[in-house]
Amino acid sequence: MTLNPHALRRLVVFAVLAVGAFISVVPFYWMIVAATHSNDELFHSPPPFVPGGHLITNLKALEESIGFTRVMVNSLAVAVIYTLGSGLISAMAGYGLAKYRFRGRGLLLGLVLTTMMVPFQVLLVPLFQMMSNLGWVNSYQAVIVPFLANSFGIFLMRQAFLDFPDELIESARIDGSGDIRTFYRIVLPVVKPQLGALAIFTFMSQWNAFLWPLLMLNSEDKYTAPVALYTLVGGTHVDYSGLILGSFLATLPLMAIFFIFQKQFVSGLLGGAVKG
Amino acid sequence: MAVETVPPTANAGLAPQGRVRRRGRKSFRVVHWAFAGPAAALFVVFFAYPLCASFYQSFTNDSGGVQTWAGLAQYRRMLDDPIFWKSLYNTGLLLVFQVPLMIGLALVLASVLNNSWLRFKGTWRIAFFLPSITMLVAYAVVFRVLLKTDGGMMNQVLGWFGVSPVDWLNNPVWARVSLIGTITWRWTGYNAVILLAGLQAIPREQYEAAAIDGAGPWTTFRKVVVPQLRPVILFCSITSTIGTLQLFDENFVLTKGGPDNATMTPVLYLYKVGFDQMDFSYASAIAWAVVLIIGVLSVIQFRFFGSSERTAKDARATRSERGGK
Amino acid sequence: MSMRTSRRSALLAGFAALAVAATGGCATGGGKKAPAPTISSGAQAQVSGTVTIWSWDVAAKALKRLAPEFEAKHPGTKIDVVDIGYDNAYDKITVGLKSGSGLPDILQVEGPKMQSYIGTFPNGFYDLSTLAAQYKSQFNAAAWRTGSDDKGKVLALPWDIGPCGLFYRTDIFQQAGVDPASIKTWDDYVAAGVQIKEKTGKKLLVVDPTGDSTFGMMLQQEGQGYFKDGKVAVNTPEAVKAMTVMKQLSDKGLVDYEKGWDALVAATKDGKVATTPTAAWWSGTLTDEMKELQGKFSAMPLPAFTPGGIRTANNGGSLLSISAQSKNSATAWAFMQFALADSANQVSMLKNEGIFPAFDPALSDPYVTAPQDYYGGQTVFKTFADLAKDIQPVEYTGDYSKAGDLINDATTGVMQGGKDPKAALDSAAQQIASATGRQTVS
Repeated sequence: MTLNPHALRRLVVFAVLAVGAFISVVPFYWMIVAATHSNDELFHSPPPFVPGGHLITNLKALEESIGFTRVMVNSLAVAVIYTLGSGLISAMAGYGLAKYRFRGRGLLLGLVLTTMMVPFQVLLVPLFQMMSNLGWVNSYQAVIVPFLANSFGIFLMRQAFLDFPDELIESARIDGSGDIRTFYRIVLPVVKPQLGALAIFTFMSQWNAFLWPLLMLNSEDKYTAPVALYTLVGGTHVDYSGLILGSFLATLPLMAIFFIFQKQFVSGLLGGAVKG
Repeated sequence: MAVETVPPTANAGLAPQGRVRRRGRKSFRVVHWAFAGPAAALFVVFFAYPLCASFYQSFTNDSGGVQTWAGLAQYRRMLDDPIFWKSLYNTGLLLVFQVPLMIGLALVLASVLNNSWLRFKGTWRIAFFLPSITMLVAYAVVFRVLLKTDGGMMNQVLGWFGVSPVDWLNNPVWARVSLIGTITWRWTGYNAVILLAGLQAIPREQYEAAAIDGAGPWTTFRKVVVPQLRPVILFCSITSTIGTLQLFDENFVLTKGGPDNATMTPVLYLYKVGFDQMDFSYASAIAWAVVLIIGVLSVIQFRFFGSSERTAKDARATRSERGGK
Repeated sequence: MSMRTSRRSALLAGFAALAVAATGGCATGGGKKAPAPTISSGAQAQVSGTVTIWSWDVAAKALKRLAPEFEAKHPGTKIDVVDIGYDNAYDKITVGLKSGSGLPDILQVEGPKMQSYIGTFPNGFYDLSTLAAQYKSQFNAAAWRTGSDDKGKVLALPWDIGPCGLFYRTDIFQQAGVDPASIKTWDDYVAAGVQIKEKTGKKLLVVDPTGDSTFGMMLQQEGQGYFKDGKVAVNTPEAVKAMTVMKQLSDKGLVDYEKGWDALVAATKDGKVATTPTAAWWSGTLTDEMKELQGKFSAMPLPAFTPGGIRTANNGGSLLSISAQSKNSATAWAFMQFALADSANQVSMLKNEGIFPAFDPALSDPYVTAPQDYYGGQTVFKTFADLAKDIQPVEYTGDYSKAGDLINDATTGVMQGGKDPKAALDSAAQQIASATGRQTVS
């Protein structure tokens, strides 16, 4: 039996997907391998290619060295609060920018644009100084508040609201609904996909944030997961098994969130017009 | 599409213009700012101030703990700094080779994923998306080990095919190749997922119409897919361009900019100047050069984008007409 | 109307207040202008309250271990050791120094970096001169130098040092028929390397192309750093000599290039190289991570440049300093004395955490002079303890890191790019001079 063009096409598609997926996933497979071996075994030559039996030992060591459960809870709290706060602020600002014309709107848009262009590294010192003047050093508000206004989120939400029909808002007003009431009763429910996409995006960025939390948090019991994991990188000794196990486990929640909400994520990113 | 310019008339009739005052709308005016206010306040306090501070700093010299006005000295120094120019050259290489490679691959993946008969789309999608959600620390460790010259997995596998070990991170040429490879690994899936969403927005009928006209897959791709997808491709290109100009994570964890600055980028360099060498004035000057370059490139791309916006709008209009049928 | 105005002005006022609070009137982001504070020995303030320390890795572990004993000795004190991780520790410390805020009482800083900090933030630390004077003769002179400024003002107390020697594989040497005692100069070393390579196929040493310490070690042997009297000195005849040795090692194919610490460890563990010219603390890595190689290592002094020349240098080593932002400097100083200027505690840190003391009295402890099983009964710690006295104090300056980056480029250029040592160093000297605004020596 010869392949008909249709089957051949499918074969090619599968081949492309399989190769692509393999390349994407193989480092994760290696993470599982590394996370289940002892540090010693990892540096044998050749390195191990299949999972080993040290998972439980490594887990215990990780819990003992950095309090893994605690830092995961910290990370979760920070990321959730940030996601909710920045979602609300982005939605409000996006709505304001899309549906109202007020003085300084152009300036605000310009400011939002510039934030995307400036390398964050250069703002670290002045921003740090502010946090310290506010007495916020070693607090979660220092990790969260400065980035609540998120330019990507504002752009995304503004785009969503630009597509929102003005007539609906106008008719709500005629019915006597106030602006704020109109916003959360009528407008917000419609942009749920975009809000969902934004939430995933901001959650991920906060979850993986490293440099700023490192600068801000000064006590080990307040560390977020990336900061705590980095303490495993010593000057002369790196606990690889712990590091890899920890970062692998810390990636799992993100995988789960993306897996569950991926439809909202992709359609939301493109303005809600897409049914994934 | 997160990036778009507002047509000035988009909201006419809803919001009162500028200073025009009307009776009965008093509270309404506070409300205008009430929505954008929190974001504006946050931006001004936590962004505008550090921004001004760094701008001022770029005109000073603060060696020995004393800050003095230095005029344009830091900027002049930058013009004579071979490492700065090398970092720009490296960025140029990435823009020319890595960004098109990645967008191209993402486009291929997205079109393949868009096949209607394909099953387990969600699983495929997450497989491709995984690299972009990896924690930096994991990324660092994994690639340092995979790309080790001796006993690294990459060279082990190449060895099975009789290829002699490649010095992935220590040879200037291979280090660049590794950097391109690892950036592509991390971000292709992310772009593919976005492009896929764009592809799915193209109505089935258009493909069918093309098929009826006797168009093959390539013609369909050129005549139907590319024009419709243009805004999304441009979105991906713009974000990737900005990402490349601000590249820091990947080369920081893989090569620290080496060997011989072959993988140095402006932002990694300003970080080194600021934090290793503690010369924050010069670091600020480099940062502002980066801002300027991104600004210019963005304006160019926005122009480009602005004209294509009409195409997208037309497409959307066509779509809603069909939908309304 | 008035309602709106008041609401708006209230908003404005609140916003302005927030802005002022946040920026704190410090418009320029400049460093601290106040002079370095001093702890006066006479009015010894009460030792009580909490002292916070930033440290990392085994050093943090050591301090955490010692803290309860101190707290018991001084009721009412609390020592809070925070492990800030090594990789980005200096980002955190630099930002704190630069912004003049957010630092703890005590900071761990490595020697060369301490010199950079002293150069850049001369007022960022407490002046310990008066209090520390009593200990000057008891600490290693080279280490002491890294904690003081050019005028001898003491800003940090040495903790540990890294006297360098040559670790070597006795079995490989034997197999190649090389007598370790015959290696007296770097030329001997290169010759031995060639013989080892011929006989066993093994390389001689690992070099990290992204940041290697070998060249700096050699320079220090010759009694200089990257700077001399404030001038760039990386192209002196001594420096060219050292770079020429690096070139020979590379030209003869004796170098195994490995990037980063783990690669160095792995290469050593796999027996790819016969020697490791490095500091005493390398011993901790050998005993921890290469238990199976027990009895196969030994150590000797570094090869010299001329027969009878200096056979060691310093690599690594930290200090503790009190940040100028500390509100409890008296207690901080008390703890530093307790941990560092105390033979028993220093020896306990060598025993438990492998930290090699910069406090001389600790080096005559029986634990240091005793034969060691791992090295087949040789007194390796004693070798290093003896070498420590020969370490030449060198000038680091605040521009050490800047110079280091450029020197590294030059080293890579010579070893892997085939550049001429003299030419590469001349060009590096020019670049360092223009980046730092300093003159060159020659």
